Amino acid sequence: MTNVPTPLGLLAELTHRCPLGCPYCSNPIDLARASTELDTKTWNSVMNEAAALGIAHVHLSGGEPLIRNDLAEITNTAHLAGLYTNLITSAVGLSDQRLTELRAAGLDHVQISFQGTSPEKTDVVAHFKGAYKAKIEAARLVVEEGLALTVNAVIHRGNVDDVSAFIDLAEELGAGRLEIAHTQYHGWAIANRSLLMPTHEQYLETRKIVDEARTRLEGTLVIDHVMPDYFADRPKACMGGWGRQVIVVTPDGRALPCHAAATIPGLVFDNVKKKPLGTIWENSDAFNRFRGTEWMPEPCKGCDRAEIDWGGCRCQALEIAGNAAATDPACSLSPDHARMKDLATQAPARPGFRFRRIGG
Amino acid sequence: MTEEKKPRLAPGVKLRTDDKRGPVLLGPERVLELDDIALSIVQQMDGTRRISDIAQALAKEYDEKADVIRADIDSLLKDLTAKGYVKS
Repeated sequence: MTNVPTPLGLLAELTHRCPLGCPYCSNPIDLARASTELDTKTWNSVMNEAAALGIAHVHLSGGEPLIRNDLAEITNTAHLAGLYTNLITSAVGLSDQRLTELRAAGLDHVQISFQGTSPEKTDVVAHFKGAYKAKIEAARLVVEEGLALTVNAVIHRGNVDDVSAFIDLAEELGAGRLEIAHTQYHGWAIANRSLLMPTHEQYLETRKIVDEARTRLEGTLVIDHVMPDYFADRPKACMGGWGRQVIVVTPDGRALPCHAAATIPGLVFDNVKKKPLGTIWENSDAFNRFRGTEWMPEPCKGCDRAEIDWGGCRCQALEIAGNAAATDPACSLSPDHARMKDLATQAPARPGFRFRRIGG
Repeated sequence: MTEEKKPRLAPGVKLRTDDKRGPVLLGPERVLELDDIALSIVQQMDGTRRISDIAQALAKEYDEKADVIRADIDSLLKDLTAKGYVKS
């Protein structure tokens, strides 16, 4: 494979253990158990290999990365290797002491998820009593420590009308960045899709609110708006394109081109315990399978957006079109586009959420 | 009033030199490659220098008129502030 691009980000899923049970979690249904997790030494090697490969950002994620008591050591290795270190956390367990320790280790940025803008909603969706209070306290500590804060809000039917309140919350907490991220339907979110999906009108309203707030808060708060594919006519460049920008390493060491790639049958994933990250990035079957444009079917092949959206999301093609190598059904040119729109208006398949849990 | 602004990198924004990309500003989920002029300006944005001081210093360094440099700084600063890389 010629012209393998330099990857930008490493998403390090340090563990799948998490105190929360969010029903839209992008982790797979088949969560990794603690006994299979990589040890500290292996994660440290991965950080050094990532930096050597040209990766700029490492996202220390999970599950909940704070569950690992070697988080500061791994952060420090990444920092010393020259990586920009971003902690992606529920903030449950982010004490003053823990934060001081992480800051000393070289942590650059903290992203805290908020499931709602009130204790009631947050605790229900997070499936954890006291989650909201813990998040608010932790967010204040992050800003007091002088660290940069991103507020991440995953948007679904239960909070789609609270986007203005999320913007106010981010501003009040002193966050530099806010992610209004409509649920991406993979993993647990598929199991709960009919309960999570907002209406098209509700989605359009969020766009209006975000656009207005961006103008009003320019220079104060950066707002990233992640769109829901189910209301789109063109796909997103999922992960910036398959094998172009991001490497995901799962808790047990498999290197994936995206969070949900393991759901695609027939892909073989190399493990960082066996091979260096650079070798995997350049040569592995899984990264090369949908890299570039050669694999593309009609109507992607020759489309003037082929190198803009890189064919969209392979996991969504599998989920909805039944074939990971098909055109992303988010594209209006896909024969499965109408079916995807229908799925967005399906009646609830179950009375209540299926909450994320290991062994669930 | 803008003369009194003392720009600095926003919290969480780092200036790094990367083997593959050269000088870059790194922020959460963001990377911005800097050319030589942008790099010289950003290096001066340490929160202690006024924009006019930066313009003067760079005018000397590049043997260019201060108001030409000043226009470059203003346009870069506007862009970097809007994108959240710089506070002033």
